Amino acid sequence: MQATKNFSETDVRTDEELVRIVVGGDVDCFEELITRYQPRVFGMARKYFRNESDAEDVVQTIFTKTFQKLSSYKGTAPFEHWFMRLSVNACYDALRRKRNRPEHTISDTLFDDESWQDRLGNIPDASDREGLEEARELVYTVLGQISDRARIVLTLQELEGRTIKEITEITGWSESLVKVQAFRARKEMRAAVERFLSREKRIVT
Amino acid sequence: MTANEIEKKLLKLAKAVQNDNRAPVNFSAQVMTRVREQHALETSSADERFLKFARNLSGNEHVPYAFEKRIMARIRELLTPDPLAFWSRMLWRAVAPCFGVMILAALFSAKEPTAAFIDQAAFDPAETTIETVDPESTDFETVMLASFDDLEYTW
Repeated sequence: MQATKNFSETDVRTDEELVRIVVGGDVDCFEELITRYQPRVFGMARKYFRNESDAEDVVQTIFTKTFQKLSSYKGTAPFEHWFMRLSVNACYDALRRKRNRPEHTISDTLFDDESWQDRLGNIPDASDREGLEEARELVYTVLGQISDRARIVLTLQELEGRTIKEITEITGWSESLVKVQAFRARKEMRAAVERFLSREKRIVT
Repeated sequence: MTANEIEKKLLKLAKAVQNDNRAPVNFSAQVMTRVREQHALETSSADERFLKFARNLSGNEHVPYAFEKRIMARIRELLTPDPLAFWSRMLWRAVAPCFGVMILAALFSAKEPTAAFIDQAAFDPAETTIETVDPESTDFETVMLASFDDLEYTW
């Protein structure tokens, strides 16, 4: 962990130690936990939410919930697992709430100057901020077409490369449910891609 | 016969032969199967390409400036007791018991003798006893309607 490496050897405290201190009453130590995990949580939240303020809201909710539920952490599993499970569930809840006011619509601007298929072949560099934003928008738009559960499973399995067992641990869903959702996710994504292709063909012709 | 003449004759013969417009049986179905296969191939490859694209897209882990301070401020806010929030929570908790009391009071008053019965009993001195008119229910009614009585006086 980046933040952990920055501390000197004597100052390094494990997550579990920090949790014990915070539960013991020293609330200020929670800031150290936030500093350690916030880049990862932001990275995760931005996979699900295009709007920056939505991502910030979710991250804030995640850390607030973590603080409120910290006393329920038993320490049997690593804190990281417990925390990631809470984070994914918070993202899922936020996605469900947002489903009532969808932001993902297939815009014609996505087909303006470059073929959609061609775009998939060109992954922009980290320095190309504009290209990266466009690419992310493309991914959001396609993933926005699939159901929330399926999206969570697809993101964890296909984009983050997690195994079914890991996903069951993170989400708390049964293995069969995860497998069903993974299958459904691929199907829904294929349908979304097909819609894109047919739309592109229509626009081109 | 020269070669040119033979060629002309053959052309004439070829023109005379009628075109066979018949298509082989199930030809369209065969073509459509090929088209569908090609389409499925294109789509699945696009599907895979999309996943590869999304996977290789670098994540944005940028953290807004002093975001941890913002969260800590929010947490400290949560820790500070808010008397209004406490009061509203208590009020909400009181809703169910109050509703229960209201139902019980309604049932209790429904079982009591009606005003007509009380009036009739008043004309019959033999039946007019202290027990027929329950003083508790009349007291209860007086107390419950006291605020409305006051309103009448005000108007």
